[in-house]
Amino acid sequence: MSEDLGFFIALLLNGVSIGLMYSLIALGFVLVYKSTDAINFAQGEFVMMAALFGAVVVGFNVSPIVGAIAAVVVVLAIMIGFGFALERVVLRPLLGRPIVAVIMATIGLASVLRGLTPIVFGGETRALPLPIPDDPVVIGPATLPPIQVLGAGVAILLFLGFNWFFKKSRMGVAMRAVADNQQVAQAMGINVERYFALAWAMAGIVSALGGIVWGSMLGVDVQIAVVGLKVFPVVILGGLDSIGGAMVGGLIVGLVESLASGYLDPYVGGGTKDFAPYLLMILVLMLRPYGIFGKRQIERV
Amino acid sequence: MMRFERRWLGLAVAAGSLAFASSAFAQSKELVFGFQCDRTGPTATVGTVLCPGYHDYIDLVNSKGGVEGFKIKVIEVDNEYKVPPAVEAHERFKKEGAVLEGLYGTPQTAALNKKLEEDKILGTSPGFGTAAAADGKRFPYTFPIAASYWSQAGGAVEFAKEKMGGLKGKKIAYLFYDNPAGKEPLPILEDLAKSEGFDLRTFAVPAPGVEMGSQVTDIVQRYKPDFVITHLFGRAPSVSIKELKGKGYPLSKVVAFVWGSAEADITAAGGMGVAEGYNTLQFAGVGKDFQVNKDIVAMYKAANKPAPKEMDSTVYYNRGILNAALHVEAVRNAIKAKGGAAPTGEEVKKGMESIKGFTLGGLLPPMELTPADHEGGGWVQVWTVHGGKLTRTKDWFQGYRSVIQKHLAADASKS
Amino acid sequence: MFHREAGVFKTTYASDMALYPLPIAKWTMVALAVLFAIVLPASLEEYYLSILNLIFIAVVGALGLNILVGYTGQISLGHGAFMSVGAYTAANLAVRLGLPFWLTLPAGGLMAAFIGALVGIPSLRIKGLYLAIATLAGQLIIEWTINHVPAISGGAQASIQVPRPDLFGFVLNTQSRLYYFLLFFAALAIVATLNLMRSRIGRAFIAVRDQDIAAEIIGIDIFRYKLLSFAVSSFYAGVTGVLYTYYLGIANYEQFQLGVSIDFLAMIIIGGLGSVLGSIFGAIFVTLLPIVIRTLMENVGSLFFSDSELANVVSGTRLAVFGGLIIFFLVIEPEGLNRLWRNVRSYFRVWPFSY
Repeated sequence: MSEDLGFFIALLLNGVSIGLMYSLIALGFVLVYKSTDAINFAQGEFVMMAALFGAVVVGFNVSPIVGAIAAVVVVLAIMIGFGFALERVVLRPLLGRPIVAVIMATIGLASVLRGLTPIVFGGETRALPLPIPDDPVVIGPATLPPIQVLGAGVAILLFLGFNWFFKKSRMGVAMRAVADNQQVAQAMGINVERYFALAWAMAGIVSALGGIVWGSMLGVDVQIAVVGLKVFPVVILGGLDSIGGAMVGGLIVGLVESLASGYLDPYVGGGTKDFAPYLLMILVLMLRPYGIFGKRQIERV
Repeated sequence: MMRFERRWLGLAVAAGSLAFASSAFAQSKELVFGFQCDRTGPTATVGTVLCPGYHDYIDLVNSKGGVEGFKIKVIEVDNEYKVPPAVEAHERFKKEGAVLEGLYGTPQTAALNKKLEEDKILGTSPGFGTAAAADGKRFPYTFPIAASYWSQAGGAVEFAKEKMGGLKGKKIAYLFYDNPAGKEPLPILEDLAKSEGFDLRTFAVPAPGVEMGSQVTDIVQRYKPDFVITHLFGRAPSVSIKELKGKGYPLSKVVAFVWGSAEADITAAGGMGVAEGYNTLQFAGVGKDFQVNKDIVAMYKAANKPAPKEMDSTVYYNRGILNAALHVEAVRNAIKAKGGAAPTGEEVKKGMESIKGFTLGGLLPPMELTPADHEGGGWVQVWTVHGGKLTRTKDWFQGYRSVIQKHLAADASKS
Repeated sequence: MFHREAGVFKTTYASDMALYPLPIAKWTMVALAVLFAIVLPASLEEYYLSILNLIFIAVVGALGLNILVGYTGQISLGHGAFMSVGAYTAANLAVRLGLPFWLTLPAGGLMAAFIGALVGIPSLRIKGLYLAIATLAGQLIIEWTINHVPAISGGAQASIQVPRPDLFGFVLNTQSRLYYFLLFFAALAIVATLNLMRSRIGRAFIAVRDQDIAAEIIGIDIFRYKLLSFAVSSFYAGVTGVLYTYYLGIANYEQFQLGVSIDFLAMIIIGGLGSVLGSIFGAIFVTLLPIVIRTLMENVGSLFFSDSELANVVSGTRLAVFGGLIIFFLVIEPEGLNRLWRNVRSYFRVWPFSY
């Protein structure tokens, strides 16, 4: 295999694995938007919270496996509870209000979470070690960090799980009904508010797992919340209300970033990576404003 | 009616004289230092450790009777790494009569350069701000007081030269954060590549720097450099350690600039064991073995308190001490020059410019601040992760000082 | 803005549209003018003037954003980037061509208006969240461009030093001189916005916000007015950027990043969407909040926390309170401080005979 081809494959696989890691965070965003039409600008702070609790639990230094399992269980419980509480206290009063209200509420929430964190946890950086091997995973010419492979695996599992949930389970079908038309759903005897809360709790589940994986990769402190910014191109590309779209959007962003920095950066002096996905996103917005997989809504502006 | 008025008059006189007395008292026995910090913004992980170091050193000085009989009062303002709060902070320091101030953040330093000069209050910016501020003639009231990014670039290349036994025909990769601070060392590196005959290729990491798999793949699989210099911020240094190691690049051939060199970066990357061999540039000493650290522990012990946990993050904590120590020395010099009276901002500036041979037991470099050189010589040390902790591998040195000075002169003539 | 008659006595449209609904309102304006032009600068210390200066700059930016978000119902997360466009335009003109501020200031505004209209183009096809994210993309692309094009940024440090503004030989280099400079532009922005909003354009903006399809049916070219709204709003932002540049003596894009866009959104949400007075309240509130919380915590916080804890607690509390207030206003008082003000006013309108 020639060196160039090897480099290309390495970039490709790197893009796929990091793209799926992005999807992991984007899923939480999409779940909420799909069911409740609310937009969560605090997704990064959710991830930060989950990672912090995870690091605290692992920090008790029991055996690595027990510690990791305990972290997952505790963080899941906390984040699900947090999702329910948040919906009840902040989001429900904002139902039916303009989009800027919901956006600003979640931005405000992000401020609150970032402000309380140093008071509660202190400012220092923590490690969140998981019981996975240190050696990189070698696939042909590509070497991937094991945590990325784990993250990609978790993302795929969540995708399959939610896909099944929405297609087959009774609750999932009800949620889809709520998302489709709230009034009709209510008329059919579906408790709409309960399903809104459930959607936020599901976002909590995704953030919990995403937080543990990303926390393990980056180390845990307040700054980890910046991964939230990565969500927007992903969801716009994939479509805000499509779980499959979040996966594909993540893959596209991962690949575009990886290939742009591999092949474009040498010519323009670097930094195309943060910019290429947004440029692509604007193109998609102009051509297919509802995203590649999004539900087409007939509405003239 | 008459009595009423008189009573008010009396009260006013009493209040006035009280205010006068207290201000006179403050002037004779207390000096105010302004100190900006970021505890909630994007660099909070640095600020929450560095700033306690500053406060602890000042407390230590106060506990020993202050500086030349003056107690020091520190006013800290959290500027959140934003510019308007930094301006407000400076005005507040001015109102409270601060004789000097500690700045925080590169954009904030840039925004305040002019105000510092107009208000004649010096500001220190160790490890950030622009390299050109080392020139005391152009920026009379801005004091980097530590190696600028230019000097760090010189230091990194010199260290690489030493490790590889020469630079001719070698390949060096520069992995940097894609912001002005990250790009600042480029002219120095390009100049050195030409004069020393090595090949330089740059790899930009865009904000927020949480992912650099493709850049590192590019470095390790395509470019295959003999040495890697990294200049990253935030979470990015830990990611770079993990990625380079994960893709099989030896960390012993990596040297990081000062904001990718703290214990926290290494912990977050998976611990000292993972980062064995990783080299870091430092502008202040590392570790808790300095006399001043012991004194601070003793001070806490005397107050029946445990030593602060921030102290364990010695890289940032000691940088806080460095900043505080130079502030105190500048004021000490100014008071001495004035024969024991409270100095003005201008006199403190002169005091700062006469600091020489003050190393605090090796925590500070053998720097010499002069009216022309506000950087103090651009000294760095290299500390390497070895056997579970940072160990010193290269003592204080000035990398390619003449090249840096040439660039400073060229930059000054440009403006 | 400040007065209410004890009932509605207007008989003509002209009187309903008047800038001064009551004769006394004129006198209030005169009193305010005297207060801000003479009393405050003469009586306040420099420190308080510097805070007022920051508020004046913020008022201009908040008014601009309110035109877009509050009056036209669009959304922008790129306001900070438009400020940097204005800042760099003015700085380059001032340094390279040596132009005085009264030329660079409108030039910066116009350039920002042009770029803002460009970024606003997607608003023709998309709205709501999609528009928010398209403008976020605009913010990042503008930042990237400034960072990577030395011709704009003036070199690797991406900062350009500008000389202090000069007016008839007065160099505006102290807080009290800058005070008049900034007061003038803040007042100008307020009057301009008040007048814009009672013109045909302003009413068209409001029509687009309230029901765009209906607006189109009654003959408002909504494409044109949406772009115009982006342009006007960005013009204000550009001027804000220029004012910051002259105030600080330096243009630097890192001071206009996403967080600034969010701070300005917070100002108009807290102050009140679609209201001039609300923008002013919001700018005051957001600028003063950290200072007030800090002063409060410095004085009473030591009762509860040790010194070393206190610094972290002060900072964290400030951020949490800031976010909490945004949520509070959205949930409890969506119309912001302006609504609270009107509540107070309408209470006194019929006082003491309410009900």
